[in-house]
Amino acid sequence: MSVLRPFKANDLFRFNNINLDVWTETYGITFYLTYLQRWSDLCFTQESPRGRLQGYILGKAEGAQAEWHGHITAVSVAPEYRRLSLARNMCQRLEFASDEIYKGYFVDLYVRCNNALAINMYEGMGYSVYRRVREYYGNLGVGKDGRDEEDAFDMRKCLSRDVAQRSIRSNGRDMIVSAHDVM
Amino acid sequence: MSEAALERQIRPIYDALDHGSNKSAINACNKVLKKYTNNTLVKALKALALTRSQKVEEALVLCDEILATVVTDDSTLSVMTHVLKGLARNSDMVAMFDNAFKQQPQSEDLGAQTFFAHVRTGNWKSCQQVATRMHKQFQEDRYVYWAVTGAILQANDLGTPPNIRTLLYKLAHRHVTSCPTPSYMAVDRFHLHLLILQELQLWDEANTLLESDIGKSICSASLVCNETRRDIWRKRGLYKDEGERAQEKIKNKDRNWLEFVSVVDAAFASVQGPDVSEEAKSECSENIARTRGFLNEIAELDGSNNRSASLALLELEKNAFSHGISSDESALVDSMENYFSQFGDKACCFEDLRPCVDLGADAKSRWISFLASQEPSFATTGDLQRVINVRKLQRISLTASELSTDKELQLVSIYIEEYMAGLELGSNLPVTELQPADDLAILVGHAFVSLWTMTKDESYLYNAAVVLEFALTRSRMSFQIRLLLVRIYRLLGASSLALDHYRAINIKQVQNDTLSHFLLTRALTFSLSATGDLTYPSECIESSQIYVSNSQDTPDFIIRAFTSEKYSQIPEFVSFDDKLENSLQRDVVKLEHVRMRMTHEPINSDLIDMELIELKFVFDRFHHDNRDFGMLPNYQPACQSSLNDQTLMFGNSTGQGWLWYFIKIYIRAFQHASDLDDIVEEKLLIGDRPKKSPEPEVQLPLRERLAIRKPEEAAELTADELQLMEWATAVSDWLEPYHDHTRPPPAVVLAEANKQNELRTGLPLRGVDLKALNGDAHANGHSKKDEEAPPVKEPPQLVAQFFEHMHARFVQLQQSQCLPSDLLHVATLTQEAFLLFTVESLRFKTASVVKIYKLGALVQSLKDIRLKACAVLKTMSNDLLKMGEVAGSAERRKCFVESCKPITDSPKLHHDFVLNIAKNVGESRKKVLEGVGKGMVKICANYGQ
Repeated sequence: MSVLRPFKANDLFRFNNINLDVWTETYGITFYLTYLQRWSDLCFTQESPRGRLQGYILGKAEGAQAEWHGHITAVSVAPEYRRLSLARNMCQRLEFASDEIYKGYFVDLYVRCNNALAINMYEGMGYSVYRRVREYYGNLGVGKDGRDEEDAFDMRKCLSRDVAQRSIRSNGRDMIVSAHDVM
Repeated sequence: MSEAALERQIRPIYDALDHGSNKSAINACNKVLKKYTNNTLVKALKALALTRSQKVEEALVLCDEILATVVTDDSTLSVMTHVLKGLARNSDMVAMFDNAFKQQPQSEDLGAQTFFAHVRTGNWKSCQQVATRMHKQFQEDRYVYWAVTGAILQANDLGTPPNIRTLLYKLAHRHVTSCPTPSYMAVDRFHLHLLILQELQLWDEANTLLESDIGKSICSASLVCNETRRDIWRKRGLYKDEGERAQEKIKNKDRNWLEFVSVVDAAFASVQGPDVSEEAKSECSENIARTRGFLNEIAELDGSNNRSASLALLELEKNAFSHGISSDESALVDSMENYFSQFGDKACCFEDLRPCVDLGADAKSRWISFLASQEPSFATTGDLQRVINVRKLQRISLTASELSTDKELQLVSIYIEEYMAGLELGSNLPVTELQPADDLAILVGHAFVSLWTMTKDESYLYNAAVVLEFALTRSRMSFQIRLLLVRIYRLLGASSLALDHYRAINIKQVQNDTLSHFLLTRALTFSLSATGDLTYPSECIESSQIYVSNSQDTPDFIIRAFTSEKYSQIPEFVSFDDKLENSLQRDVVKLEHVRMRMTHEPINSDLIDMELIELKFVFDRFHHDNRDFGMLPNYQPACQSSLNDQTLMFGNSTGQGWLWYFIKIYIRAFQHASDLDDIVEEKLLIGDRPKKSPEPEVQLPLRERLAIRKPEEAAELTADELQLMEWATAVSDWLEPYHDHTRPPPAVVLAEANKQNELRTGLPLRGVDLKALNGDAHANGHSKKDEEAPPVKEPPQLVAQFFEHMHARFVQLQQSQCLPSDLLHVATLTQEAFLLFTVESLRFKTASVVKIYKLGALVQSLKDIRLKACAVLKTMSNDLLKMGEVAGSAERRKCFVESCKPITDSPKLHHDFVLNIAKNVGESRKKVLEGVGKGMVKICANYGQ
């Protein structure tokens, strides 16, 4: 339903319908160029059949030994193209690349603990909570959802290389670490 | 002193630089240099500290000293890299590394640095040569690919003729094939290889690569290689093979739209080209039937989970009709109806169906009755989305004969009613969420804008503003609503409200390049900078920051991509860098800033000389238009222009043509007022000149280029701007001979610059040999020239009468139905003309010039014009002040509220809400009308005498 292709530097001129959305941050150009220069095969975009950008995903590969994994840094879909499983498709592609190209053990991502919608979606895609990171989204202060607003769940999904499924655990929600342990 | 002791002394210099204390770094350098007068590293460090403390002249003297010797030691080279980068002297950097590498050809690091220096200047030819040399010397495979990339980038350069392009690709091909390790060892090398084969159409070789096991495996994992593979297949005309391969992939659950495109294209493979036989047609017809079967199966399988197959069916039927294979559009309408039934609850349904709605009469009436038969329901958000899609699809199909004010007003009440009903569904959403009914409010906006274009009655724009403002109270984060409000408020002359909405969208970084046109196009119209309010000039500067960070950062990433061998990214990075560096919007904003700057800064030679040099650079550029006009939705009927076009202030935007016209006005006026000629400019210039556009027109002498007028460029100007242009040309033509005759010779100008420089820095200007330039330069400036002074002529009629003409135009607009923005446009252009006139007559303000060259009569004419202009500006200012008074009055607010009758039936749009908007609009208009009016008086006071 949409064209899945590599995200390119010139897409920065065309991503306004995605980035004007309030939850999507627009970073300095060095941010995007760093990802493209280092992990271009983990950065994709979906384009509508009529040529409009619909969403993009930016990812990286990091970690050592059994922690070597793909990481989803940003995934965003323009409001007009939501509910079309675009985010799911892009995540799948990133998982595929992390598996095939990078031979990682798992893919992970961070999500606000109060973002039930997103957590549900990721669980539906096979991710599970590995740990809770305290004050990951710092300096917000304690908001109406209390700690849930500034804490993050680190969610993971195993790849084929992790045969024994060592990178996930069932009691992840209870494993609490502080932000400087993961940065 | 020993080497260790020297090192001990150098360390604090580095520390001082790291901590940003440039002054103590300079002191420390001076101390060391007393003992080691010729230590290049310390000199370089001093140059760096000087550059960072803006003491450019002194830094340049040191640079020249250092570069006169061949520098080869790492530390000095590294420091100099920073110095030269800071001074924008990339060509010096290239020379420095070139020399160093020549001296030490065995140093791999120096080779790489030389290569990178060439990358920074975009000199791809040299890149390729250096890389080739490096490969010979160091036998590293990667240098072959550096050379290949250099050759390809040179081939892709705009200025490269086609035959050379082919030659360069052939060279690249030779490099790749002679490399001992095969290209498939790395994905990015493989991709580069494919690109070369594609360009040279070496299909057999491409086939061998792609059909090999490793080639197949690379393409299955790498999207970028697969993209190139697909292009190659298509270029070879292998539509059928590609179609079959795509069918396989689709059967294996791949839902990439590109695969579906391949399947559809394969069905029409036999009818490509001009002469299509009957046989081919019937073959195509069979293929269509087969493809239809295949797609139907997939569509059934996917249901509403995925719309690819259904969309491909639409594409198939549309093409079948346009190729003349199927005789009527009933199959297409069938698919459209199916598609709507299945995916009508998705927002993208409208976009998907839009290309299909251009139907013949019968099919259209069937489609329209299908849409009409959809019963509106507001039970779920899906139902609401269906209603929205129906309204949008109905709206774009309206014909000119159906459109009338009554029809639009009727639509307005339907849209509003449905919008209010739809709001109920989102009543529990958090404030950060968008309301699912937003698009209905945007449709109301469409209808009112359409009413305004039909009637020119501005009260329809009030209505639009009220409904959209209301929608924002329910959906605070809707950028589409805000952008539409920005446009409407600019039309209404409520510029501060436009600014507020624009700022609320929080546009950042690269978005400034693509979106600042919403706010900064012709921002002079609303700028109050003459009164000291620098809001708009600062917006210009802030939005231009992105170009500074681009030129600082992006080249580093191009270099990093070379070191990490990400060849697929390099052409993209290069083009990204180029598009930002030579962005059209960048220079439109630059010019807008110059126009505003003149209204609040003293017009003197500093301003004029600096802007002249910068505008001349701009004039040499090959621009890229990155402006994003796709952010406003468009649901206007096909018989109308788009919402974007309808809401552009003065009916058009400022593109290349506008920029060229205005830049010609300014360059010419500044040239006249400036004493800088080419020789002087060359001497005073510090950084490198930017890359010149390869366009043939740009190669013409500046004088000729300034005289070029093209109708397609003129079309981007408003009628009033054209008047200004004609007037400015006439003024320039009239005054040019006197400027040319009285301008002091270069030697005098340089002597003066030299004196100033000595006063400032204690050093003479570098590279200027005054004696050699001109022995007879008189120290006091003006010398009588041998040739006869040009006779003083009366001003041409156009010049003399311009200001009265503009006044008449202003009065005429006041009496007709016009928007405040139109009036402000005429007023600010008149003011601009006055300032340009000040620039043009600056030289003749000096009493000695007038006396020596006997220009008394000319000065009298100038004075007459100036007085007339002043009188006109004062009258206009007076009128604007009065209008400002009226705009902010209670009377006006009442009118505003009354004219919102079409929408106030709705209980939520109550009187107080409307009155509040009326008040905001009134105050905002008052502020700009008064501000511009007051600014004009101030300008008259500054330059009226």
